[in-house]
Amino acid sequence: MLKKLLRQNETYLGVLIVCLCIAISIANPSFLSFENIAGFLKSYSMVGIMAVGTLFVLILGGTPDVSFTAIAQVVEYAVVVMTIAWGGGIFLALLAAALIGALMGLANGYIIHYFRVPTIIVTIATFNIYFGLLYVITRGKLINNIPQQLKDFGNFLILPTQSKIGGTYGLSLHPIIWLGSLLLGWFILRKTFLGRSVFAMGGNETAAERVGIRTRRVRVFVFAFVGFLAGIAAVVHVSIVQSVVPNIIVGKELEVIAAVVIGGASVFGGKGSVTGTFLGVVLFAILNNGLTLLSISSYWYDVAIGVVITAAITISAYQQLRQSRRRVNVRIEA
Amino acid sequence: MFILIGIVVLMSVLNPQRFPTLGNMISMSYQLPIIAFLSIGMMVSMLGGGINLAIISTTNFTGIVTVLLLRAIAGEGAAEANAATALLAMAGGLAAALLIGALMGWLIAYVEVPAILATLGVMTLLDGVNVVITKGYTLSGFPVFLLAIGNGTVLGVPIPFLLLIGVCLVLGLLLSRTVFGVSLYLMGSNPIAAKFSNINVRSILVREYILSSSFAAITSFVMMGQLNSVKANYAESYLLVAVLACFLGGVDPFGGAGKLSGMILSIVILQLISTGVNLLRMDPFFIQAMWGFIIILVVGANFSRTRLRERKRLREIRAARSP
Repeated sequence: MLKKLLRQNETYLGVLIVCLCIAISIANPSFLSFENIAGFLKSYSMVGIMAVGTLFVLILGGTPDVSFTAIAQVVEYAVVVMTIAWGGGIFLALLAAALIGALMGLANGYIIHYFRVPTIIVTIATFNIYFGLLYVITRGKLINNIPQQLKDFGNFLILPTQSKIGGTYGLSLHPIIWLGSLLLGWFILRKTFLGRSVFAMGGNETAAERVGIRTRRVRVFVFAFVGFLAGIAAVVHVSIVQSVVPNIIVGKELEVIAAVVIGGASVFGGKGSVTGTFLGVVLFAILNNGLTLLSISSYWYDVAIGVVITAAITISAYQQLRQSRRRVNVRIEA
Repeated sequence: MFILIGIVVLMSVLNPQRFPTLGNMISMSYQLPIIAFLSIGMMVSMLGGGINLAIISTTNFTGIVTVLLLRAIAGEGAAEANAATALLAMAGGLAAALLIGALMGWLIAYVEVPAILATLGVMTLLDGVNVVITKGYTLSGFPVFLLAIGNGTVLGVPIPFLLLIGVCLVLGLLLSRTVFGVSLYLMGSNPIAAKFSNINVRSILVREYILSSSFAAITSFVMMGQLNSVKANYAESYLLVAVLACFLGGVDPFGGAGKLSGMILSIVILQLISTGVNLLRMDPFFIQAMWGFIIILVVGANFSRTRLRERKRLREIRAARSP
């Protein structure tokens, strides 16, 4: 049992998070308050939801998708414009967001499958198409009159409590949606044929194809799922910031990918877990929150992220290297 | 080649007053080298089957290191410093770039981190460091010597353009006439075969990324000379253009194939398109979307070309077998 735990990436990550928590709360005791924890979980729920999609892409193998932030950006704008024009409740908005996102992801999936090009190259291209066209169509205008139903959704609190200085705080719905997408991801990956196919294709695509997995369907599903989650994340985001700035989500993609990689998803495909992904995102949330609470300049945040990403990738590759040295490795080119 | 002529004709027809003029050609010969150096640096990393996503960050990092050294040596009179001081600072900047290249090469070769992730990590790290050093400000004020690299002319030909020609000649020889060049291609097309052919794959990889980073340094010097300033996030949009240039130039993203001549042709085509659409006053975001479309088109075209070739080969095999 202990041996198994020691081999798992999640264990190390968990220990690291606990150590960080202790260190930060010694320096600033307000870190461990319910208010603060609910706060950073809320602000990182968008990254957390997107991370589940990225996990699927990494397990599928090959290079990461970078276009999901552009998808979320387009969906955010579209959903807000649609809700302003036609009304409709929050569920309709979520449904529309998921649908538009999934369609945009679908396009990625088909292009990647048919042309057999690295994911990152196709998604760099679609990123620029989606984002460029969004700016051309909207002319970069901000939207500040967010419909009331979206605001209500953002302000809804579970366990509302009065804070000492008068404001109310509590757990908002956003981390619940994050949890929901984690559960959905876990269910698909562990309990369905589809999820097992994703792992199989990540391990060895040729073998997966020969045992009868429909690789096209699986690949297209994965990218549509990424778009689906990006759409949900967009609605979560707009209900938190309560305005639409057309370039606020793009640029987050590296952080999301880094969180998933730190969570133990192998960059060679075929490996990764929902728990690890969750812990990876939490690590970033704590890092960000901690730097703020210790009042360190935000310039350093980028450096900290860079160090963590490079270190995590290096360690992950190094572990892989050690494992592969231990067993006899026969590689047959497809 | 046909695409090239087609674009020149199309742009000239669309914009007869501005496009086919000597002034425009000269201004293009100043802009072209920046994209060219970056794209060729990218090509070098792709030949070995990798990619160098940190090339823009390295460029900016080189510039920042050079400026800091210049200020450290010359103090307040940085803008009046003589050529020797400028050269010394540039040597420092170059050393920084080569060090970054060596770091990436080491990660990729010895720790076996996939190139795309190693360079992504280094890119984030360098971007952060660049912002922290400059605090987001623009640093400016360079000596005449550096400005000449960007803006000067020799016999009417811009110095950046001459530099480009020189560098291309050297690189062309390096890739086709040296052990390093041939090993690089072999490693890119089949690393296992390369290893069994007694090639030190790891040392080739490290040298490959050092070479790729040295192009970032050259770009940095030319850019500093032209803009007379350095900033943490200059030229970020060129990353996409550099990748696109490689595709258009027939470089295989999985490594092992790609010629310098193809690259030069594709860079000229891209520069013509970019100048052309700029002169037509198109929306820059539309141009961004257009680059995306062009990548997908080129990828699709490459794919159908290999498909056709495969089918042809299959037919030939069948024809040879049938009595």
